[in-house]
Amino acid sequence: MRRALLNTTRGTALSVGLGERSRQLNSCAALVYRRHGHDLDTVRMEEMSLPALGRHSVRLKMLASPINPADVNMLKGTYPILPMFPAVGGNEGVGEVVEVGSEVTSLRPGDWAIPWDTGFGTWRTEAVCEAGDLLLVPRDMSLLGAATIGVNPCTAYRMLHDFVPLKPGATVIQNGANSAVGQAVIQIAAALGVKTINVIRDRPHRRELEKELMSMGADVVVTEEEMQGLRLENVIQDLQRPVLGLNCVGGLSGGLVLSSLRDGGTMVTYGGMAKKPLHIPAKALIFRNITLHGFWMTQWKRNNSQDMSRLVTMVTTVCGLMKAGHLRPPHCAQVPFHQYRRALQATTQSHQRKHVLIM
Amino acid sequence: MKCLRFMWLPCNRNGVRTQTMCPVSTSRSTQQQHKQLSNGVCRYSTTSAISHCTALLYREHGDPTQVVQSESMNLPNVGETSVFVRMLAAPINPSDVNMIQGTYAILPDLPAVGGNEGVAQVVEVGSLVKALKPGDWVIPRDAGLGTWRTAAVLAEEDVISLPRDIPLLSAATLGVNPCTAFRMLADFEDLSPGDTVIQNAANSAVGQAVIQIAAAKGIQTINVVRDRPNFTTLTDRLKAMGASHVIKEETLRRLEMKELFKSCPRPKLALNGVGGKSATELLRHLQVGGSMVTYGGMGKQPVTVPVSALIFRNVSVRGFWVTQWKRDHSEDEGALRSMLDELCSLIRQGKLTAPACSEVDFQDFSTALEKAMQPFTSAKQVLIM
Repeated sequence: MRRALLNTTRGTALSVGLGERSRQLNSCAALVYRRHGHDLDTVRMEEMSLPALGRHSVRLKMLASPINPADVNMLKGTYPILPMFPAVGGNEGVGEVVEVGSEVTSLRPGDWAIPWDTGFGTWRTEAVCEAGDLLLVPRDMSLLGAATIGVNPCTAYRMLHDFVPLKPGATVIQNGANSAVGQAVIQIAAALGVKTINVIRDRPHRRELEKELMSMGADVVVTEEEMQGLRLENVIQDLQRPVLGLNCVGGLSGGLVLSSLRDGGTMVTYGGMAKKPLHIPAKALIFRNITLHGFWMTQWKRNNSQDMSRLVTMVTTVCGLMKAGHLRPPHCAQVPFHQYRRALQATTQSHQRKHVLIM
Repeated sequence: MKCLRFMWLPCNRNGVRTQTMCPVSTSRSTQQQHKQLSNGVCRYSTTSAISHCTALLYREHGDPTQVVQSESMNLPNVGETSVFVRMLAAPINPSDVNMIQGTYAILPDLPAVGGNEGVAQVVEVGSLVKALKPGDWVIPRDAGLGTWRTAAVLAEEDVISLPRDIPLLSAATLGVNPCTAFRMLADFEDLSPGDTVIQNAANSAVGQAVIQIAAAKGIQTINVVRDRPNFTTLTDRLKAMGASHVIKEETLRRLEMKELFKSCPRPKLALNGVGGKSATELLRHLQVGGSMVTYGGMGKQPVTVPVSALIFRNVSVRGFWVTQWKRDHSEDEGALRSMLDELCSLIRQGKLTAPACSEVDFQDFSTALEKAMQPFTSAKQVLIM
């Protein structure tokens, strides 16, 4: 695991809690942790001093920041890149530019911006960072949309574009379809004329969820149990056999996605929520020519950060989809920043909405 | 399952089963031609205008040692675009066994002749055949020909010629395993001299071909084999072929690997013929962005892939099937030819030798089949016609 030099330019945590002391101009409140832990109690809200604004820096007032699975893994220490301590949690969110350094031309006060790289530490009220750490997003987006655009919808966008050329009428099958990525896949695919078969876990309000996903553009919604029990023809119905599978679960679920692919198909894995490996029959690889790839947004962004234009294009395109009404953010639970413990606890329970901290 | 085209006719059950000393005559010619094999036994019997051959047939899927029988078969006349060939040698490969067992991805209509590769010599060609002449050596272009037989009448387009200046056993075993090795080394990762490839089943025919073809290109190989009593002898033999490292399966899980990677770079490419834990261990040692290519499943276990390898180390997991490659490239005359040319060139340079073979007389096929199905079979059984 690489411990990255994250957060060093963004402030030092003072070990004082928030109290009656008024917040100074050069400090902020942040969710800080100094060690990894399996329970999420390692995180505490602390006051952090902020560095002075440099010529190329920007002061950003954070507006909203979600809690994503990767954020939780980073807290637990199970993520492949880990920050130096003390660390601020959170890897995406939207802020408003408050002040810019003398040589900053890409951003102006009032702009909304999102950090593009993992490890920013977005669970905080303010940050001072390099202008190059941020990407501009339109101000006329919804707050929740902007806060949650950079990781999950972008992952969906890339997976639908980078692996298999998808023509209108082609079919994509995915598990974890109710996740933030899953919902973005449904909507972006629908905008492309691509059909989706969506596998969800069974749950009490399954039919309501099914209706909701169908209203977003899902073509078929099935549960994991139905995937196991039904014949493939009954799942696929009159759609083309899927050419692309998206897997964020692993284990048996991933195997079912794979087995539903047509010969020559590709399965892209972007998550492993079941914490179980994939068991691929050799015949699927040898005789059916199935290919397995993985996708990691962080790596894609880092690979494309020399020339930021690809990142800018991607974010602009996905924001455009949102603006055109083809893509809406997942249903979120908005949590005031100081109630962060409640939000973190929710991540330990199943079938919870995405919790977004509002600063 | 797809069905195969076959070039033979249903067997004449009343036909002669034993080889006889006889002159060969084709159905067209009234001249008696004497074709003597090295041991002096002519393996063709003829009655009037119909040619026969002896073939190893099965009428149902099952245990090859039970269901495969030697029978006499009629051969059709040699048509304008056909060639009459006598088989010289044909190996017993795992896929041949799977086909008889009924577990292979493509299965022939039954009754079927076993065997999917081997080398034959052209005896007679039809009037429109341009690319082949009597005396030429040929191998099948596709699976399913049924090579465990003494002779055949085949369409010209079903075979491709090989030079006769390579050893017989090399020719007999060239079309499947060395071609698999060649393609896996060429088609998945850009490999430069000094790069490393890791593989399990390194002592298999594919494995040995990988070692040698890689060595000829300056590519290092880390070769994983099962532990066995004569491990040192095996290591010496594989290293003499050009293997950079030979290690036991157990070693993959040990810290010794760190030492190993001081002397060669981490592999970009992993070749998996086994599956199960062996494949997972290969995957663990791949470079970020590397590929694992699966061509076999000798361990009869699925390939276990941790999700983190795919997401965080950007590893690709793919498969290869030489039969599919041949079918995909059947319209591209040059593709198969240039690969075979390159392999034959390596053979002539002494850089690619056939795997250790056990030559078995065609009539002793039962013993050969039994031996081929043993675990740890250290020599490929090759039927000599």
